[in-house]
Amino acid sequence: MSQALWVGKTGLEAQHNRLSVISNNLANASTNGFKRDRILFEDLLYQNIRQAGGQTSQNTELPSGFSLGTGVKTVATQKLHEQGNVLQTQNKYDLAIQGYGFFQVLHPNGEIGYTRNGEFSINGDGEVVNSSGYRLQPNIVIPPDAMTVSIGTDGTVAITTPGDSALTQIGQIQLASFQNPTGLNPIGQNLLMETAASGAPQVGAPGQNGIGTVHQGALEGSNVNVVEELVNMIETQRAYEMNSKAIATMDQMLQYLNNNT
Amino acid sequence: MDRMLYIAMSGAKQNMLAQTANNNNLANVSTPGFRADFASFRSMPVFGNGHPTRAYAMVERPGTDFNPGPLNTTARPLDIAVDGEGFIAVQAGDGNEAYTRAGNLHLTGAGLLLSGSGQPVLGNGGPISLPPASKVDIATDGTISVVPFGQNGGQPQVVDRIKLVNPPLQDIYKANDGLLKLKEGDTLPANANVKVVSGAVEMSNVNIAASLVRMIDLARQFELHVKLMRTADKQADNLGQMMRLS
Repeated sequence: MSQALWVGKTGLEAQHNRLSVISNNLANASTNGFKRDRILFEDLLYQNIRQAGGQTSQNTELPSGFSLGTGVKTVATQKLHEQGNVLQTQNKYDLAIQGYGFFQVLHPNGEIGYTRNGEFSINGDGEVVNSSGYRLQPNIVIPPDAMTVSIGTDGTVAITTPGDSALTQIGQIQLASFQNPTGLNPIGQNLLMETAASGAPQVGAPGQNGIGTVHQGALEGSNVNVVEELVNMIETQRAYEMNSKAIATMDQMLQYLNNNT
Repeated sequence: MDRMLYIAMSGAKQNMLAQTANNNNLANVSTPGFRADFASFRSMPVFGNGHPTRAYAMVERPGTDFNPGPLNTTARPLDIAVDGEGFIAVQAGDGNEAYTRAGNLHLTGAGLLLSGSGQPVLGNGGPISLPPASKVDIATDGTISVVPFGQNGGQPQVVDRIKLVNPPLQDIYKANDGLLKLKEGDTLPANANVKVVSGAVEMSNVNIAASLVRMIDLARQFELHVKLMRTADKQADNLGQMMRLS
């Protein structure tokens, strides 16, 4: 059948995928530590109907050929790791990263998950865990008699105990950074996993080696720009309409052919 | 049998091919850096015995529209858009140099800089690799500077410079993989006058209104061809009736 129909179909499919990505971004407009996605398109292969320079006679040749594009495909979705807004919450276990880097938490499958979501709390054993209960790495245990907990911008965790006014350092939060954070694999629960594309993590203390600093009592919000997503949504809808119009037109042409021959 | 039927048929067939080319432009209306294809018809006279009264239609792609597309600002440091004329040099799948306007660059885990469609971006001496870095900047002339890991508040270091070229437009064509290549397979020298904008992506240059109008135009032309086929059929029918001996 006509290839024009299938070319139009690839356009519909691509715009459909794009709308899914936009909806997911909008749905996560208030998920702390969420990084928005962007969908990437590229044109599909071209089909050579007539090669340019083909011989039209013994001593003349075609000045230009005819290669027909076969549509568009979705190549990837890409997380954009821009800084989200930092919100002050005054909760002592809320942490925000200013700059580059990820918190490390221990996923139940034994791997390290990376996250920008700094909504931590402590479990029954005094360990610092994220909202799913996964332990922060390296593990930090807050003693039961701790009166105040303060976390410095360099990640040092210090407490005061009754009868001792001096701060005692009990651990240091370490952050990981990647050569290519876009290559991390999102698995939900605000977690990203290391892949071959992301490169190996470079773990270091906050504020060192270009890694960002940690701020206590603050959270990094989602970096979804709602206005931009709405504009993208309009663009997607119109592009979808145009492609469906292209299919409808081709359909009418074929229908006309059927009815008139 | 009169050849009118075949001429009308060839017109309708070429029309459908042109419609496919137009649909491809519409399908790529949001592909970064996409350049719209033209499709035009040419009459191909047929010479034989008798008068040369027949001319078949033939559709061809005389070229690609190289007008710049709109810029979308993204604020992502690895997104670059060529400002004005020029192209970004990449390494095509066959190892040769090819050119693109799709500047949504990304990195592999090993630090290789790839274009939006996955080809290595060429620098001063072959594909560009970046060291592990906490910050990457691309200057307007394509110079890439990074702040590497392990340097506290370090100075940016120049790593490489993206090869930007500006060939005469009649010397390049769109190959089957969608990349632009030189007609005479040679590499081009880098051109220092090509400028890029960092933090922006150039979108497709498909003119939506023109494509939609062209779609209607082609559909109506197709109907004309079909009508001619119908007329040819009717005429043959009439002839058959006239010649009937009864």
